[in-house]
Amino acid sequence: MDAKDILGLPKTPLSITQEKKSRPQKDSQRKPDGISREVYALTGGVAPLMPSIDVSQLKRRPPSDEKITWQWLPFTSSARKDNLQLYHWARDYSFAKYNKSVDVIRYTDEEYEKHLTDPKWTKEETDQLFDLCERFDLRFIIIADRFPTPRTVEELKDRYYSVSRTILVARAPSPGEVAGHPLVKEPYNVTQEIERKRALSMVLSQTKHQERKDAEVLAEAKRIAESRMAARAAEEPDLPIASDIGPESAERAVGPGDTISPSNVQVPAPAAAPSTSLRVYLRTYALEQMVQAASSSAGLRTIKRVEQTLQDLEVNLKPKVPTKAVCAEHLELRKEILTLLNLQKQLQYKEAEGSSFRDGSYGDMPGSAKRSQRAADQDRTFVLDTISFGVIPGDRGVKREQKRKGPGRASETSSSPAGAHKRPRKMKASDL
Amino acid sequence: MYGGDEVSAIVIDLGSHTCKAGYAGEDAPKAVFPSVVGCIDQMDVGDDKENNDSETNNNNDDSNKPKDKRKLYVGSQALGFRRDHTEVVSPLKDGVVVDWDIVDNIWDHAFKDCLLIDPKEHPMLLAEPSSNTQQQREKTAELMFEKYKVPALFLAKNAVLTSFASGRATSVVIDSGGGSTMVAPVHDGYVLQKAVSASPIGGEFLTDCLMKSLESKGIVIKPRYTFKRKEIQPGVFQTVDVDLPHTTESYKLYSQRVIASDIKECVCRAPDTPYDESSYSNIPMTSYELPDGQTIEIGADRFKIPDILFNPSLAQE
Repeated sequence: MDAKDILGLPKTPLSITQEKKSRPQKDSQRKPDGISREVYALTGGVAPLMPSIDVSQLKRRPPSDEKITWQWLPFTSSARKDNLQLYHWARDYSFAKYNKSVDVIRYTDEEYEKHLTDPKWTKEETDQLFDLCERFDLRFIIIADRFPTPRTVEELKDRYYSVSRTILVARAPSPGEVAGHPLVKEPYNVTQEIERKRALSMVLSQTKHQERKDAEVLAEAKRIAESRMAARAAEEPDLPIASDIGPESAERAVGPGDTISPSNVQVPAPAAAPSTSLRVYLRTYALEQMVQAASSSAGLRTIKRVEQTLQDLEVNLKPKVPTKAVCAEHLELRKEILTLLNLQKQLQYKEAEGSSFRDGSYGDMPGSAKRSQRAADQDRTFVLDTISFGVIPGDRGVKREQKRKGPGRASETSSSPAGAHKRPRKMKASDL
Repeated sequence: MYGGDEVSAIVIDLGSHTCKAGYAGEDAPKAVFPSVVGCIDQMDVGDDKENNDSETNNNNDDSNKPKDKRKLYVGSQALGFRRDHTEVVSPLKDGVVVDWDIVDNIWDHAFKDCLLIDPKEHPMLLAEPSSNTQQQREKTAELMFEKYKVPALFLAKNAVLTSFASGRATSVVIDSGGGSTMVAPVHDGYVLQKAVSASPIGGEFLTDCLMKSLESKGIVIKPRYTFKRKEIQPGVFQTVDVDLPHTTESYKLYSQRVIASDIKECVCRAPDTPYDESSYSNIPMTSYELPDGQTIEIGADRFKIPDILFNPSLAQE
């Protein structure tokens, strides 16, 4: 007779605790893949606090990009007394892929007589040049070093490329066929090359004094350009808010000079916008202007709420990378948020009205007189005719739209009439 | 790091001061020994006995004499043992090989005695000076293939090997060695021949300058073979001079140079600023013990000698 019997408790309480015990045991017994059981046991059977090496990475070998070829080759064994020659697969010489050489076109003597004679070059010299070109794989600096008579690198290159080009064109059945060949398309320009190298060596040999002077000139140029831009911006305070506002194309801000000549100020090509005079400006500045203009009719509190919404959506108040597309999207987003806030406010008003009406008189369909004129309402900022309410006949539709309050849903894209948005909508914050 | 086929090649670099030989793929050469040889001229035909009164100078005429009449001693051990009438000869003159027989013996010593290999079984990589002539290259190849019957041979320029060893295909290589200092630009693995320049000032020249300087101060460097040291009491040594009249001048000079070279390597240091007499007139002296027990003090010479590399006019003072 047991107290447990009397109470009706199970006789073997261990069964429950056994289950409990076996479970934690099993967890530790199960080892992670990639390392052997014994190794894992060394760590006490417990995973390390900090992951040190990703074990799955250890067995993985780096993916081999190169093509490994195998050859069926004969071999003999020193263990055999006879000369038995068996075959086996042997791996290709791994450095064979580096053994590349250039195809240098060789001309015949007749071809030389016909096309390639030149007052400044003898046949012997030209032959020597081509031998060296083949030997040294067109390393012209070394060819110039080994050339028996003193010739500059540009002269050698010029002779080689013009001869190759002439031969190519002469041998081709029709000129059209070789027109695509790089030798024919882009001929070697000796004077340009000499000039380019001279300019390069000039840059390289600039003294510190010269560098400082150049930097000063560039800084001065930048200052002038910016002051000019500020003057222009002051002249035109109202940038049009039309939907095709997209910032003017082809302008580039004067950044820290990266070329020598200070005259690197680009002339912007005028776009659709009317304020087209030659000027250079910073896009962030222009964006600020546009944002200001767009929200000029909204109160300070609204602006604050717009910014709050932007922050909630984790969008920077000023775009980090102010390219044309990014700025346009940012502006668009701001406008939409503004619209949303306005709509929300309106909804609140209408609900308040509606509820007060309901309290007052029952039967009235709420919002019957209130629909439709929303878009053109006296609400302040709604100069934007891009946002329309996707006109659905019937109050219900309107009401439904208004009631739909999901996070940041300003207007339904699908129902907005074509042309409301001038650009195809890309991923917007509101689409989250 | 050594990738590719293990063809067990041998690398040899015969310089004007030392010859270096070793196995390809290793970090350092196994065999480093002087590239001068001891040479005993045997005037008597068919007679192996050393001739007591021969004081003939070994010069280019050697190559005309029958080869087996001349005994050569190669390697620091063989050379270090003093023998009567041994002249110390170098196969190179101004960096160019003039005595191919000596070169042959040097290679033989490297293969047989130092590396213990049979040249027939190993491809060879030879380092040659950056301004080696076609004729020298041909003779090298002839000797290697006909005498040693190597399976394969590659002659590489010193500057290119140095450049590749530092991981670059393009560089300017300054090689300051025993016999000369050479500057060679390497572009994309090829030496630009027209831009190679050489100066005869190298380690050996500095050693000679040091010797002259010590002599002018009255310090006599006694070659090791000229004395015996006896321990008369524990810790106390007595030096006894040994007279060996049949030792050649060249051998004496060679032995002195070995000691002077050691002084130079232990004591000398290149100065941080160009050397001038006034600033180094009062520096503390460093002491050095010569093999015969004599202790010498070296002061300004410590910095003056290495500065000759940068300012050769100092050598004239």
